Amino acid sequence: MAWNLAALPLNIDPQQILLHLLNFVILFAGLWLLLYKPVRNFMKKRKEYYEQMEESAKEKEREAEEKRSAYEQKLAEADHEIEEKRAAVRQELENYELKRKQAAEEQAAAVLSEAHKRAAEDREYTVRAARKEISALVADATEKLALNKSTSEMYDQFLDKAERGDDAGGKA
Amino acid sequence: MTKKQTIIFLCIVVPVIALLIVGVVLTDGLYMGGETLDETMQNAVLHENDKISILGLEVNPALVSAYLVTVLLLLFAAIVRIFVIPRFRLIPGKFQLLLEQAVGMFDGMSRSYSPHRNGFLGAYIFAAGAYIFFGTLFELAGVPVVTASGGSVALPAPLSDINGAIMMGCLSYLVILSGGILSNGFRGVGRTLKEFSLPISMSFRLFGALLSGMLVTELVYSYLMLSIVLPVFVGVMFTLLHAVVQTYVLTMLTALFYGEVCEPPVRKEKRYKRKKHQIQTEV
Repeated sequence: MAWNLAALPLNIDPQQILLHLLNFVILFAGLWLLLYKPVRNFMKKRKEYYEQMEESAKEKEREAEEKRSAYEQKLAEADHEIEEKRAAVRQELENYELKRKQAAEEQAAAVLSEAHKRAAEDREYTVRAARKEISALVADATEKLALNKSTSEMYDQFLDKAERGDDAGGKA
Repeated sequence: MTKKQTIIFLCIVVPVIALLIVGVVLTDGLYMGGETLDETMQNAVLHENDKISILGLEVNPALVSAYLVTVLLLLFAAIVRIFVIPRFRLIPGKFQLLLEQAVGMFDGMSRSYSPHRNGFLGAYIFAAGAYIFFGTLFELAGVPVVTASGGSVALPAPLSDINGAIMMGCLSYLVILSGGILSNGFRGVGRTLKEFSLPISMSFRLFGALLSGMLVTELVYSYLMLSIVLPVFVGVMFTLLHAVVQTYVLTMLTALFYGEVCEPPVRKEKRYKRKKHQIQTEV
């Protein structure tokens, strides 16, 4: 042996140190390859898997949030559209009602006008008939006036007869 | 005194007297060791009389322990690699959790102490931790081997040998130095060399700590009255404590110094710039 063992205290032996080193290097290499690296790789992969899962969950959450906001926007747009359509329909309805009212008023005016016209015609007819009747009455009266003398005579006779009849009855 | 009281008195006093007699006899210089305590302690430290012959080389028993521990650990790692790791699940079982905790602990330690460069450091402190921990626990097995002189010796912990401890301390220092060179070049070398006492302190801390457990156990064993039951607790306690503490201390120190020498240099602000900045601030 090249080393003088007596020169080193505490039984320190460089050869044995190297043998210990060789042993540890073998152990280190073996443990690193067989245990440390595979377990650490597994843990790393699992971590990445869960991180990826978390990332995916976040992505999905973000997509869901985007979809939700899009749906909300669409709903708001739909509400707005519905409101607009409702307003348009309401306006149309009001216009229709207005037209109906105008038409009804026009119809009522026409009916009234017709009624007035008919009333005027009836009045004219009545006046005309009354005139005719008055004319007939006047004619009749005129005729009676013309025949007035004989009537008074008949009346006088009647009165005479009536006086005589009263005397005969008083006597009896 | 009633009859019952007499019986109780006798039941207590007789065993006490018997125990005292046994104690007196045991403490009367009945030392059972084959060698003196000094020789035992010296042999535990220096291994001069219990060399083991392997392939023509006479080595300390701790070196045999080291290779046995390595073989066992590699065998375990190979079995785990072949049969367990391919069946790893996303939600770990108990054994998988244990492995992940072991790897994660050293990986996390390397990341936290050396955030700038930690790929190799994690693997190194994992291997060193496993070697120290299981090597120390290996002592509990008490595997007997035949020495070159024909005697018998129980294999000690690999790092209770000064050569093993020096290897571990110096290698850790070299790892720290390599990290410093790779990260900061000559500045890293300077930073590492600043801690020139580190390999010595690391080596002898390991050696002393692991040896102390063995010495205390030897000391306890060396007396007959202490060699019954007590060494089991003392030996196991010291071994377990040292296994945990020394594993943590060496890996933590290595990671700490490695992280320190791998830190990128902070550029000092030049004086005139600082002055200019101060003036601007004042204005």
